[in-house]
Amino acid sequence: MSSRSPAAVLKQADAGIRRAALRRKLQAVTTRMSRTLSVDLDHAGVDVGEVIEQVTEGLPMESAEMQRLVAAFKDSGVADRVIARLSAKSPVQRARSARVIGSLRMYDAVSWLADQLQSRERSVSDAAARALGRIGGAQSANALQLAIQRKGLSRRLVTELARAAPDLYLELALGEQQRPAVRPALAIAAGLRRRHTAVGPLISLLQRGSRRERVISCRALGWIGSQTSIPIIILALEDRDWKIRMSAAKALGALHAHAARHGLKYLQIDRNARVRKAAGQALYQLDHSQVEERPDGA
Amino acid sequence: MRPRERTGWDSGGPGRPVLASNLKDPAPKRAERPSPSFNDMVSRLAALEQAPIFFSLPDAQLRALARRLRRVKIAAGELIASQGEPGDTIFFIERGRCRVVIEKRPSVVTVALLSEGDFFGESATLRNRPQQASIYAQTECHLLALDRQSLHLVMAGREWETLDELRRFADQRFTLFADTSVQAGWGLLLDEASVIGVYSPKGGSGGTCLSLNLVGALARRYPGEVLLLDLDFPYSHSALLAGLIPTTCLARTASLPEGSFDDVLLSAVLYHAGGPMILPGALRPEEADEVTPELITRAIAVLRKSFRYIVVDLGVTITDATLALFDLTQHVVLVTAPELSAAKSAADAIEILGELGTPHDRLTVVLNHRSIKPAVTRPAVERLLKRPVDIEVAFDGSRPEQAAVDGVILSLTNPKSEVAKGSEALAEWLDSKHGGRREERPRDPAPAVQEELVPAWRAD
Repeated sequence: MSSRSPAAVLKQADAGIRRAALRRKLQAVTTRMSRTLSVDLDHAGVDVGEVIEQVTEGLPMESAEMQRLVAAFKDSGVADRVIARLSAKSPVQRARSARVIGSLRMYDAVSWLADQLQSRERSVSDAAARALGRIGGAQSANALQLAIQRKGLSRRLVTELARAAPDLYLELALGEQQRPAVRPALAIAAGLRRRHTAVGPLISLLQRGSRRERVISCRALGWIGSQTSIPIIILALEDRDWKIRMSAAKALGALHAHAARHGLKYLQIDRNARVRKAAGQALYQLDHSQVEERPDGA
Repeated sequence: MRPRERTGWDSGGPGRPVLASNLKDPAPKRAERPSPSFNDMVSRLAALEQAPIFFSLPDAQLRALARRLRRVKIAAGELIASQGEPGDTIFFIERGRCRVVIEKRPSVVTVALLSEGDFFGESATLRNRPQQASIYAQTECHLLALDRQSLHLVMAGREWETLDELRRFADQRFTLFADTSVQAGWGLLLDEASVIGVYSPKGGSGGTCLSLNLVGALARRYPGEVLLLDLDFPYSHSALLAGLIPTTCLARTASLPEGSFDDVLLSAVLYHAGGPMILPGALRPEEADEVTPELITRAIAVLRKSFRYIVVDLGVTITDATLALFDLTQHVVLVTAPELSAAKSAADAIEILGELGTPHDRLTVVLNHRSIKPAVTRPAVERLLKRPVDIEVAFDGSRPEQAAVDGVILSLTNPKSEVAKGSEALAEWLDSKHGGRREERPRDPAPAVQEELVPAWRAD
């Protein structure tokens, strides 16, 4: 166990006290006990964004508490300062500012956050992506999609795109002409959102897309749990490409598609070891699923 | 390269922060959300103004909302919103029609048809509720989408009243759809009768014959629990074809006071010895005018409590009464003959029924052969209808005409006849769809189907 110096202990205690004080101030604003707000954004030990997230946890964007908090930040000039700090040299300050903006869901700051997605510091671009995902809306989704277009497929960007995209945004984008990296990212995001409205575009991607797109759309359909897509995924079990066969087997396992049992059994003698393994796992999922198998084996 | 500068919080202004100046490699600026063209803005504003909820919104806010709308084009038949899933966008219909469907197993109820000027998605967007209904594009739809963030950015803090009004509207529509779905499925919930409409768009296709035999086939399963309501105007002859003499009819109950309506209506029902019951719509052609949609709704509400199945012979013409019945039916049976004109009329009827919101799985097409050699083959009829024929009734020689003369129902007296076989298949089909939900009641075995079921008055 490492022993810390008395100065470090005092510093930690000081930060804890300041965090608690900030939390009380914010709670006073949300409960209408106070209308003014003074926040020290420069204190090293206090992450303002984190405290705001704690206070606003579970509050919808349109709630009165949230609106009061945003109004207090704007009226006190803290919001302007937060935006200004997005141009600070320190990546820590930029990342923290992005976090504050995200936790307050300041939709009108989306274009500034979008610039931060291009930052070379991973912490800054990740914080900006997270903030955009939290804010949501078509403009945030546009910014994230553009970042994917420029930087390629990244886990953080895709996850946040799935969070940010409004209804039918991904579905329409899947049908439009896109750069090579974008459509697979959109398909993953659509799968992560788990909306049945995406089933149609994903099925057409599975039927007509590139190899990568077909692999991803198979998995996305499995995540969504679309029973209507089972016959089309079963056809993909016989594809010449082993990745598509593997992906189809995984999707059918996730869908508990008992109708695919025969095809999956056949894949257990596939020439590719990973396909065989995926088929085995899918059959295991079928055996242990709650769905009653029909007597005819279908 | 000169670093790009942007000032301002909402817009430019002195003393506002200068941003992103230290980025060594500022990203090439993507064209911001392109400003809509003048004509585009006009059409967006027109769509927004059609929504009564935004009527009182100031022009500036309306324009701000219009700028933030997303154009969405949806092909016919596509799913726009899925019941039970979250939603964050209000869709305004600029062009096209959408069907709002609530699925409550085993029933699927169309609760609304939305068209130009309507909007949907407000409940999920403003109340954070899961989508109350699934919404399908009935035709190709051009929609304008307004996401929650844009709505709040424009309205929050300024237009609380409009937002509150929108929330009230969302609650009101939520209740309306819930009520409609319950009312449409009340038969299912309260164990009341399923209403089955038999419609033949061309005269001579055998609609009345089939509905009479269908009632017979159902009555063999559930004697005394199946009613035929004859609305084939101007001449309602089902009772006579079944060998019964009607003395009163539905039209004559129109002027009755509220208190005695139920009793008089039920006393007007004729009982056939084979099990089915028949209620004529009108006895004289001029009485047909008395049968209004209100009277039908009132009568069906009473009859549903007393029977298991109500089969309604809708005849040939589409009147207000027929349209009212389409709203009340759980299933529609469309009868057509293998003739070009009959098949064409049936294709038109299917289109109309689709527009009225009858789901595909609640429509059954019966192909009734009225001659030994059909003029049009079954595949040709199916091509014309753009859907498969569900049940085919083979040519039955002169038996239907002879049965009409004798006043007997073939499905009760001659199960080997083709009409009886077809009716039996149809009854089986309908019972599998609508009968399974009820508990099996102990019932008396169906009476032996013999010629002695010819009514006494004829024997005399």
